[in-house]
Amino acid sequence: MNERSWAGLALALPALLVVVTFFVAPLLMSAVLAFRGKDGGLTLMHFEKAIEFYSTDLLFSGAIVLVSTAAIGAIAVAIAGYLTLGENPRTVAILRWLYRWPLFIPFIVTAQVMRTFLAKNGMLNHVLTGVGLLDPLQAQSLLDWRGIVVAFVWKQAPFVTLLVAGAMAAVDRQHIEAARNLGASRWRVLFEIVLPQSRRTLMVGLVLSFVTMLSVLSVPLMINPNSPTMLTVDIAYRINSHGDYAVANALCLMSLALASLGAWFYLREAARKADGA
Amino acid sequence: MPAPYLVAENVSVAYGPVRVLDRVSLDVARGELVALLGSSGCGKTTLLRAIAGFVRPTDGRIAVDGRDITHTPPEARGTAMMFQSYALWPHMDVAANIGYGLRMRGAARDEIARRVDEMLKLLKLEGYGGRAISALSGGQKQRVALGRALAVDPSVLLLDEPMSNLDYRVRLELRHELRALQKRVGITAIYVTHDREEALTLADRIAVIDAGRIAQLGTPDEVFHRPSSPFVAGFMGADNAVDVVRAGERWTRPPPGAAGAPVRAHFRADRARVVGAGETPAGGLVLDGVVSQRVYLGTEYRYRVRSDGADFWIEDGARRDEGTSLRVHVPDDALLVFPIAA
Repeated sequence: MNERSWAGLALALPALLVVVTFFVAPLLMSAVLAFRGKDGGLTLMHFEKAIEFYSTDLLFSGAIVLVSTAAIGAIAVAIAGYLTLGENPRTVAILRWLYRWPLFIPFIVTAQVMRTFLAKNGMLNHVLTGVGLLDPLQAQSLLDWRGIVVAFVWKQAPFVTLLVAGAMAAVDRQHIEAARNLGASRWRVLFEIVLPQSRRTLMVGLVLSFVTMLSVLSVPLMINPNSPTMLTVDIAYRINSHGDYAVANALCLMSLALASLGAWFYLREAARKADGA
Repeated sequence: MPAPYLVAENVSVAYGPVRVLDRVSLDVARGELVALLGSSGCGKTTLLRAIAGFVRPTDGRIAVDGRDITHTPPEARGTAMMFQSYALWPHMDVAANIGYGLRMRGAARDEIARRVDEMLKLLKLEGYGGRAISALSGGQKQRVALGRALAVDPSVLLLDEPMSNLDYRVRLELRHELRALQKRVGITAIYVTHDREEALTLADRIAVIDAGRIAQLGTPDEVFHRPSSPFVAGFMGADNAVDVVRAGERWTRPPPGAAGAPVRAHFRADRARVVGAGETPAGGLVLDGVVSQRVYLGTEYRYRVRSDGADFWIEDGARRDEGTSLRVHVPDDALLVFPIAA
């Protein structure tokens, strides 16, 4: 190793140490503890317990995040598509200004907003009752799985829209005009010309949202803390109420396995993009 | 004369406060190829885009085959445009690109396949149907873009500087192919270009556009030999301009402080001839000057000549040094004389 290589290593060392000390080591430790029994030997007991108690929550978490991801994708494509192909400049400008707001609102504030909005006596039911669309006796609370999905979609759709709108804006305008010139309606232009050319960015945005939603504690804790709930609530409960780090670690690894599916998609798309570049 | 197929009548287009097209009128006969020729920003592409429906005229009307399409959306106009960047969709192969317009018209799958094969054959691209767009050369992309436009049998083919991204040799080759193809298919076409040679080679008629207006509309021969204004003369290559006055049978430079309004004579560099120092040919314009710059063109030289404060260019086979004095004669039939604009 020459002097230059040493200098390079010295420069990277502080960052490397921080990553190893505060990220890699705790992660490995957590993984090890998930497999270690009280006697110090290797065991799958914590996973068995986690599956016995929380398999429904595991499925619930996966389903909530998948449904939210699908809804985020649909909304992001609709908004970004209108921003790209919309012909009314005023509506486009208003939408462009409006859609980004939730980006700057933290998850916990979003959860609180949704509690006020979706509760039995919340604003949504008040408005629906006020305009005569809902009988007051039929009003019900949406603070269950639906509330979590609404909160996730409200918070994450702008993030994916931001990415997808950027990718759509980068599509050569003449590609759009060529399709319209040959008889394609704006819907067909969106789904056959613009979206296929922005598909990778959409996928990346959805994967990042998928992983983010999987790790959010505040939203399920504030909207739907009772079973079935999301794994993040279970992890917090094992630690705070029982001091049971072993099962909490097993749940963490199961959560990580779900997130890894997303990461695998992300890396595959990134590799394809690099190949195509 | 048959009724015009495409009619643009007093079409005006403005981008905000900037008026890009100013009451432009243009008639195109069925099967005719009209070139819109002009420099960058003159409005030629805007006129094409207004015909395609991508730009809304603030005034005037556009009709094709008697049908008013001024407010018809682009997808319902039946025109097909070939773009400067070709705008081929990279996520579709060659066949899917060519067949897209037919798919939009609801053609059956086998009908699309038959038409795509026909186009590939016509454009000498047989066997390229399954190729990715990224695997094509510039010339091949140009053909695919043309095939995509022709496949739908459009009422009017609109071509926006389709050769500007190609190198000179490919451009020359494709220029002749395009003309032959247009004649064979008999399609009505409008061709936007800033290249006068391209316009002269391809077009049945040329519309020279200047600052959002048609400065002259005529056959290539008319526009080249009988330009209607100094701008058209300059654009068509007669870019030498000197102030002259009539002196009997010939034109001459106005003497300093001369009374009477002089006019301006335009001429092409290749029509000026170097004559002997004492020689005074009959008629035309004789100019005495000094060579101030020499440019080698390959078969001959191009000289910049300074004469009584005026600069002009001539072409001559003999090599002369800078600073050499010479006498130049421009015959009457090479002089395009216009009054000097106020």
